[in-house]
Amino acid sequence: MLELRLVQGSLLKKVLESIRELVNDANFDCSSTGFSLQAMDSSHVALVALLLRSEGFEHYRCDRNMSMGINLNNMSKMLRCAGNDDIVTIKADDGSDTVTFMFESPTQDKISDFEMKLMDIDSEHLGIPEAEYHAIVRMPSAEFARICKDLSSIGDTVVISVTKEGVKFSTKGDIGTANIVCRQNTSVDKPEEATVVEMNEPVSLTFALRYMNSFTKATPLSNTVTISLSNELPVVVEYKIAEMGYVRFYLAPKIEEDEEETKPQA
Amino acid sequence: MAQTQTLTSFIHEIDSLVSDKLQVVSYKWLSRNYMISSDEAKRLLQEFVEKHDGGLEVVYALSGWLKSSHPSYHVKLVPAPKLAEAQQEFDGNCSVQVYSVQASIPKDPAMLWNAEFIQAEEFFKQPFSVDNCVRDNRFCGISSSFVRQNADGSTVVSAALPTKSAISMGPTKNNIVHQLPKNIAHDSIPNVVLKSQDAMKDVKSESNGTGSTGVHNHINKPDEDKEKVLPLPKGKRKLQDDKSSSVTGGSLASLWGRASAKPKPCSLPAENNNTVSNPTVATEGIQTRACEAGEDDSGDDHVNVALKRSSNRRRVVFDFSDEDEDAVNLASPEPNKQSSQDSQQDDKKLSEKATLSFDKQIQSKSRVKEETAGDQKANQPWREDLSVISKCTSTGKSSSEKLQSHAPEISVNKDSQNNTAPGSPKRKRVMKTRIDERGREVTEVVWEGEEIEAKKADKVTTKKADNNVPTNALSSAPATKKSANTISNPAGKGGNKKAGNSKDPKQGNILSFFKRV
Repeated sequence: MLELRLVQGSLLKKVLESIRELVNDANFDCSSTGFSLQAMDSSHVALVALLLRSEGFEHYRCDRNMSMGINLNNMSKMLRCAGNDDIVTIKADDGSDTVTFMFESPTQDKISDFEMKLMDIDSEHLGIPEAEYHAIVRMPSAEFARICKDLSSIGDTVVISVTKEGVKFSTKGDIGTANIVCRQNTSVDKPEEATVVEMNEPVSLTFALRYMNSFTKATPLSNTVTISLSNELPVVVEYKIAEMGYVRFYLAPKIEEDEEETKPQA
Repeated sequence: MAQTQTLTSFIHEIDSLVSDKLQVVSYKWLSRNYMISSDEAKRLLQEFVEKHDGGLEVVYALSGWLKSSHPSYHVKLVPAPKLAEAQQEFDGNCSVQVYSVQASIPKDPAMLWNAEFIQAEEFFKQPFSVDNCVRDNRFCGISSSFVRQNADGSTVVSAALPTKSAISMGPTKNNIVHQLPKNIAHDSIPNVVLKSQDAMKDVKSESNGTGSTGVHNHINKPDEDKEKVLPLPKGKRKLQDDKSSSVTGGSLASLWGRASAKPKPCSLPAENNNTVSNPTVATEGIQTRACEAGEDDSGDDHVNVALKRSSNRRRVVFDFSDEDEDAVNLASPEPNKQSSQDSQQDDKKLSEKATLSFDKQIQSKSRVKEETAGDQKANQPWREDLSVISKCTSTGKSSSEKLQSHAPEISVNKDSQNNTAPGSPKRKRVMKTRIDERGREVTEVVWEGEEIEAKKADKVTTKKADNNVPTNALSSAPATKKSANTISNPAGKGGNKKAGNSKDPKQGNILSFFKRV
C-alpha cells in the first residue's frame, strides 16, 4: 500500500513537466525514504535523477518498496487536470497495475480521482558515484535558462568554461559566435540572485545545447541552479526542490574537437 | 502444405534464396522453414548441389571417428574444396552431408548459422502454448520425448525482425522465405501504409498469416494485439519503438545496451516503404531488372545502386556525392533524356527559393541554371528533386543528409530517369572497389576533396548502405535515405535535430561514466 499526500500539488506537476521532455517512460521507485526516479534519455546521453523525500509529504505511507512504471506524458496529462492549489494524493495498492491520483480542491468541495495504468518497464539503475567536482557554479535558474535559450539560437553546442573570473558560456554557429560570461556576484539583496563560482581547477567542457535546454524545463522548480563540472565527468545540473529533494540532470560531454576553442583562458 | 510442393519448386526456391537473397541455406533452416524432416532437407540440399553446378559454395558436414590417437567422434564443417582433405582425417567411413549452400563462404563462420539461429529463436519466442517444431523437435533424426527445449530468454535485437520473415512461408514464388524484412513487404503490399510504423505492424501480422503452417496461426493474435503485451510481442514492440527513432522515443528498457543497433533498424521500415512504391520488384526477372534500371538512372545523387545480374556475382555501384544535382551514375546505362518544356519556368521558381537557402545551395543552384540554359536537359524528376531541396533548405537548418534524403524518394517514386552533369571542378570522383563480407564486389563512387560536412554525411550513408547491401542491394540504399526522410519530416526541425544528434560521433555516452548497478 502506497499513499503519498502532497499539499503543494503543483510541485508534482512541475516535476513532471521538467523531465517528461527528456524521458518518455520511467520507473518511479517508492521506498520508506522517499519517492525517486532515475532514467536515461533514449540516446543515453543524459540522465535524470529525481528525489522527493518522504519528509516533504504531508502524509507518506509506503509499506514496502514499489516500482511503478509510468509513461511520463500520460502522468503529466493527468496531473494537468489538477488545479494549481489542489492537494494531490498518490495511491497504489501492492501488486496493482494502476496508480490513482486524487486531487482535492483547497476548499474540499471538489475531489477528483484519476486512475492510470502502469507499465512494465525493465530499467536498470546506474550507480552514480559521489564525486568531487572541479568547479561548482550556482546561479539564478532563470538566468541559466535564458543563456541556454539564447545560445541555442546561434549554435548547437555550448562550451562551459569555469575560471577564476567566472563562468563562460560560448557557442559557435553558422551565423557567428557568442560568449556569455557570468562573474561571481554575491553582493545582491536576495541570496537567490547570487552567482557563486567555486573552482578548484579550471574546467572547460562542451555540451549539446539541446539537452541543456530541456534541463531548463525544471526552472519553475527552483530559483537557483547548481552546475557542477569536472573534466572527466558528466555535468550535473541540479534544481533543488524546496525542503523535499532535487531534480538532477547529468549530461555526458561532447568529445572536444577543437582544443583552441575550448581551452579556458586562465 | 510443404508436402504438396514438388521437389523442383524447392530447388527453385533454394536457388533464389542463395543467389538472389544471398542467404545461407542450411539443412536445419530448410527443415524448419518448410516443415520437412531434417533428413529430407539434407537430401534436398544434396539434390540441389548436384543439379546446380558452379556459382555457389557448399559447406559439408562430415561426421565420424577421427584417426588420431584418442579416437573421438567428430563432426566437422568443411567447404567443398577441402572436402577430400578433411575426409582423410576421419577413420574409415564418415558421413558426408551437405550442411549448407550459399553464394560465398562468409568470412565470419558465425554467418553460417545466423539464419537458423534467428529462426530457432523466433520459434522459442512463441507462446508456450504453441507446440512448434523446435519445441517438440519433430524434425530431428534423434529425439527423446522427455526432453523439452527451452530458450534462455535472452533477446537478440536485430534478430527479431528477420525472424518474422523467416517463419513466413509463401504459397507463391514471391513469398519465398527471405532472410530480411524488406521482402516481407511483398507479402503485405496491400496492407502497408506509408507510415513506416504502421507498415511494420502490418508486416508482422501478415507475415505470420502467410506463414500459416497450422502451428503459426496460433500466434497471430498476440502479435497483432499490440496493447496487451505478452512477452513475445513486447520485445517486438520495443524494437519498433526503437525503430521509430528519437521522434517517438522507445521505452527506456528497450534502448539500453543496444545503442549500436540503431542505424540498421532505422532503415528497415523504410525498406518496406520502398517496396510499396516499387511493388513490381517482387515479380523478379525482367521487371525487376527494369526497376533496377529505373533506380539506377534516377540519378538519386549519392547512392546509386546498380546491379548487374552477371552469373551469381554482382556488382554494386554506389555513387556517393553530396549534392543531388551533380550526380552522374557511372555504372548505369545511358539514361533517356526527357526534355520538359517548363524547365525554364521552374528554374526561375527555384532560384527564388534558393535565395533563402544557404551558400552551398546557391552555388549549386547557379550551376544548375547554367546547365539548363546550356542544353535544356532538365527533366521532370530532377526539377522535383531540386524544389524539394530548396524547400527544405528554406525551412532553415537542414543537414545535408536531409537534403539527400528527399531526392531518392522522389526519383524512386517517379521511377523515371534523369541525368545531370557533374559541375564542380573542385572535386574529383573516385571509384573505390572492395569485396564485402558476402563476397560481392562493391564499387563506391565517392567525391573527394569535398567539404568536411559533406563527407561526414557521406560516411553515415555509407555505413547505412553497407548494412543494407547484403540484404538487398537493389533498393536498400535509397530506402535508407527515405527512412531518414519519413522520420524527420513529420517531426519537423526538432525531430531532425534529434536524429542528427544521436548520430553525433562526438557526443559522449552517459553509460561510459556511470556503471549499471
